[in-house]
Amino acid sequence: MSGKTIDIIKQKIKVPDALRQRHKEYLALRKRIREALADGEATIPEIAAKSGVPADQVVFILMTMRKYNEVVAGEMNDDREYYYYKLKADE
Amino acid sequence: MEDILQDSSVKVADSLVVGGGIAGLEAALNLANTGQQVVVVEKDLSVGGRMIHLSKVFPTLDCSACITTPKVSEAARHPHINIITNCELKQISSDENSYWHVRLQINPRYVNESLCTGCQDCEEACPVVVRDEYQYNLVGRKAAFIPFSIASPRVAAIDIDNCILCGACEKACGPGAIDFSQEPVQTEWVVKSIIIATGFKLFDSDKIIRYGSGKFKNVLTAMQMERQLVPTRPFNTVLRPGDGKIPEKIAYVLCTGSRDESVGNPICSQICCMYSIKQAQLLLGALPMVDVTVYYLHIRAFGKGFDEFYQQAKMMDVNFIKGKVGRIRELENGDLVVRYEDIASGQVMEATYDLVVLSVGILPNMDVEKIAGLETLELDPFKFLNQRHEMTNPFKTNLPGIFMAGTASGPMDIPDSILSAGAVSALVNKYNKQLLETTVNSLEITSWND
Repeated sequence: MSGKTIDIIKQKIKVPDALRQRHKEYLALRKRIREALADGEATIPEIAAKSGVPADQVVFILMTMRKYNEVVAGEMNDDREYYYYKLKADE
Repeated sequence: MEDILQDSSVKVADSLVVGGGIAGLEAALNLANTGQQVVVVEKDLSVGGRMIHLSKVFPTLDCSACITTPKVSEAARHPHINIITNCELKQISSDENSYWHVRLQINPRYVNESLCTGCQDCEEACPVVVRDEYQYNLVGRKAAFIPFSIASPRVAAIDIDNCILCGACEKACGPGAIDFSQEPVQTEWVVKSIIIATGFKLFDSDKIIRYGSGKFKNVLTAMQMERQLVPTRPFNTVLRPGDGKIPEKIAYVLCTGSRDESVGNPICSQICCMYSIKQAQLLLGALPMVDVTVYYLHIRAFGKGFDEFYQQAKMMDVNFIKGKVGRIRELENGDLVVRYEDIASGQVMEATYDLVVLSVGILPNMDVEKIAGLETLELDPFKFLNQRHEMTNPFKTNLPGIFMAGTASGPMDIPDSILSAGAVSALVNKYNKQLLETTVNSLEITSWND
């Protein structure tokens, strides 16, 4: 199939509003996490405190960012309880 | 039958295997190696079943994927095996010659399999993130995605239910494999026999509200812990999903959703004790400072090398407490308090952990019941396939020409699943040859009822 087949399916189905809303919310949370990491590496509780994003959501989004190569893990903190994470561009 | 064979829209094989897990693939390979033509249908985007997602197997601690992937690869390349993924059975019926007519529906993956190179450029371009079911929801995946790194076929798919139709994947795909014009395709097959190898479902631990599963972020299921222990693990180490803390104290709660009349599953799942002991040993390797405690009713270490494996875990300082866990509550810092009845002292006690793993039991795959046209397929009281001749021929269903392999007939471990697949393939091979040689009536009398 050549050309833009996306136009074919756009005529058949519509994107639900709830899906668009979830996508926007995810992007907003990811932006806040990126901003929390803008000054350098941080642990997950530090990112949660800086960004105001709940820690469990930070884990999910940060680990997804790590999976897609946006974030890298660093050393453990002094208490050996948490890892530091930083944006890939900071390397 | 002659008419069917001359109808080019109908495809013919000797056997159809329903389910591309380890039992289904083992049965298919055995049959194909004797010259039988086999079609394997799998509802998921990849074959490999549950086993391909495990870290190691008990009690040998061999790499699970290292056992599964050669079989997957061999089946995918076998000239006598046709694997169809993303496929549903729509209807099954038999004709007057005891042949089975099977109508399949191949659902669109919106990616042309023959053009996709598995490069993941579409995945990189896709902006949508949803929970990754192949990582048991611990991380996200894109709406355009390769299911997992060792998926077979290693071909992308579009999760159309979560796609925002931005077209980024189509723009990014160099070979032009993305194809949103795809529609479901129905095909009809005629086969002599069918092997049902549909595996099992895991108990939904959210149903036991007092354990806090689905509510407390640091209560995991054993499959979520299993994913944290594989090389392609979601966090690249073992962490608490609630706050990313490296856990120092972990508890296992055995018999979650098995041997429990109150949740409708009174039988033992046969694998939970051993996979929990395996995970405890692997955790001690991954996190040398961790303390692991296993709460159990009875340790059922019945297989070859199982008790030695259990004793080995004790020697590694895994703590085993015979006691029933009544309730789990969450502290403000995410730690979890396990309240349990200690059988040794007769006291109700409490202990605090960083992480609790629920060793969930296995349930029948009720999708078997949904196979169209097979309402007469008998199930046992626990909703697994009924073994009419459990002692003499445990692989036959009540319907002539339909057999079962693996956990479709009840809980069993991986070696027993593979063993059952070997046995059933020998039976099916004989059955297929007899069907060619005998009449319907004599076949039913001499073969099926013995």
